[in-house]
Amino acid sequence: MIRSGSLRSIALGLTLALTWTLGVHVAWADETCNSPYIAKLIKGQEDYVYVWTLGVEGVGDGSDKLVTIDVNPTSKTYGKVLGSVSVGVRGEAHHMGFTDDRRFLWAGGLAEPKIYVFDIATDPAAPKLVKTIGDMAERSGYLGPHTYYALPGRMLVQALSNTKDKGGVTGMVLYNNKGEYLSAYPMPTDGGGDGYGYDLAVNPRKNVLLTSSFTGYANYMRPLGDLVKDAEAMKKFGATMVAWDLKAMKPTTVFSVPGAPLEIRWSLKSGDNWAITAAALTSKLWLIRPDKAGRWQAKEVATIGDPAKIPLPVDISITNDGKGLWVNTFMDGTTRYFDLSNPEAPKQTYDKVTGKQVNMISQSWDGKRVYITSSLLANWDKAGDDNEQFLRAFAWDGKALTPAFEVDFTREKLGRAHHMKLGSKALKSP
Amino acid sequence: MRLRAAALAAWLAGAAPALGHDARALPPLDYEPPAPGTYTLHRIMAAPDGEVLGLDGRPQPLRRFTRDRITLLGLIYTTCIDPEGCPLATRVFDAVRQAVGDDPALRNQVRLVTLSFDPARDTPAAMRGYAGHRATADGARVPWYFLTTRSPATLAPLLDGFGQDVRSVPPDPARGTPRELSHVLKVFLIDRAGLVREIYDSTFLHPRTVLNDIHTLLKDR
Repeated sequence: MIRSGSLRSIALGLTLALTWTLGVHVAWADETCNSPYIAKLIKGQEDYVYVWTLGVEGVGDGSDKLVTIDVNPTSKTYGKVLGSVSVGVRGEAHHMGFTDDRRFLWAGGLAEPKIYVFDIATDPAAPKLVKTIGDMAERSGYLGPHTYYALPGRMLVQALSNTKDKGGVTGMVLYNNKGEYLSAYPMPTDGGGDGYGYDLAVNPRKNVLLTSSFTGYANYMRPLGDLVKDAEAMKKFGATMVAWDLKAMKPTTVFSVPGAPLEIRWSLKSGDNWAITAAALTSKLWLIRPDKAGRWQAKEVATIGDPAKIPLPVDISITNDGKGLWVNTFMDGTTRYFDLSNPEAPKQTYDKVTGKQVNMISQSWDGKRVYITSSLLANWDKAGDDNEQFLRAFAWDGKALTPAFEVDFTREKLGRAHHMKLGSKALKSP
Repeated sequence: MRLRAAALAAWLAGAAPALGHDARALPPLDYEPPAPGTYTLHRIMAAPDGEVLGLDGRPQPLRRFTRDRITLLGLIYTTCIDPEGCPLATRVFDAVRQAVGDDPALRNQVRLVTLSFDPARDTPAAMRGYAGHRATADGARVPWYFLTTRSPATLAPLLDGFGQDVRSVPPDPARGTPRELSHVLKVFLIDRAGLVREIYDSTFLHPRTVLNDIHTLLKDR
């Protein structure tokens, strides 16, 4: 672990190419960014935020865990930790995704090819680990399950790496909802494809699946200070996005999107037909939409902060009307809001420093509540006093973020707070 | 293929299901689906088996309705009023049955099954009323069976096997809403061996994609 001060000086001293290393990841988090095949969106007040938390040696049991926090202001335990479920190992806990019926939450770690399935329907206040899927590497050769995207009766999992060389060439794996392996799909390495993967998102109306690209295990598990000094390793970051025929699961178009394009968000506004992503290392927003001839194109449309200062956009969250976009930048701990009224020219209209390091950002369906967590990757988080680990809740009135409550994940002996999903007691199901 | 698509589009524009079912025309598909046989329909899982009741109230094994023909099976409850839920499934089934019956390559290859997950209200008599003229005999070109179950206990393993969620929502006098069964609409395409090969929800379910998938299964023998 390098210290935050040295991290900053190293990072600022690097060339733009070298800064690709910092291409953080993170992923889609919130109620507006769920798979379109999930039918039970929470459009009122959510009751819980589930936080998939990285274990830290010497903190609590040191293992990865799913933490449940009460976020209903009318509750007596508002802003408190209701409980946690440890998986008993420390495997770089990262992202989660609901099944299509929202009864189960799949979660995984980037350090191992295991997927944990939590029952969140029987008692939404007390998730229960009901299954561990351990055959992904054996079946597919892929490592580091990242995005969990519900399809009808199935879960499509985007991996980040492979077991052969632990590089960035990887693919997607399809399971049925029972956790039984069905198929694997390699990311394209021809036609301009680099074979890398990161996030995936579907536009069902157009039968289009979009994927983005990050880097492999050898890079994301490596201490950041070492990585940025390795010129060869720094070249191994994704620079493409891919449009797929979802039904056929075949790539149709490879786009050049330099700088590790990460989270993908489709506009949810009826009639809209575009998606947006943030390239972490170049600090750019990219728009993906068809041209007048109907051919899908990727286009750089905005800059996030000052790329020379390496803000590192690590997560984005789109409003339900497609008119606004939250962007968290890790290095400067800043939460930014972009006006997306014209997606061809997003404009930043607000920013606030929300932590010494910030990573994931999730919003309620109505956009009035915004949740932020702190951890990027165990070996990439800042150190010392800058290593804040938290979930912070804010109210958003369209003009400013107002703090609501905070949970200190270190003081609570939980670990590094990462991905969030919202829960509701109304979704209790036998 | 073009002829089939044109015939289907024409039928969709003028389709008029009866007996209180939603008679609105289905919107056209907003993309050109891949050609039949050019993609893979995975063997997702085995269709479950268990006791069901036909319109005559006679208990029978569900497997009788999920083998030997390609089966399109929808799980519904008859009092569902969500236009993107059970009524959508019935509208799509109407369109598929019409198109299959008009296609010599498909007729006698396909059956439709509507299975209720509300045994308390959807008795065989209620299902008969819901089915109306749609219910057909075994010898029909495109048989359509309407099934229910004897009790929640006999229904449970079927729901579990299909992975169908159902959550009872109490009536709300303030809103004037009756008791509802919250669920994700799921329709299953089952091959001749009884294996589920595709699962459609309301965003995925369209007669063109279903027919494409049926043709794909026929090429997959």
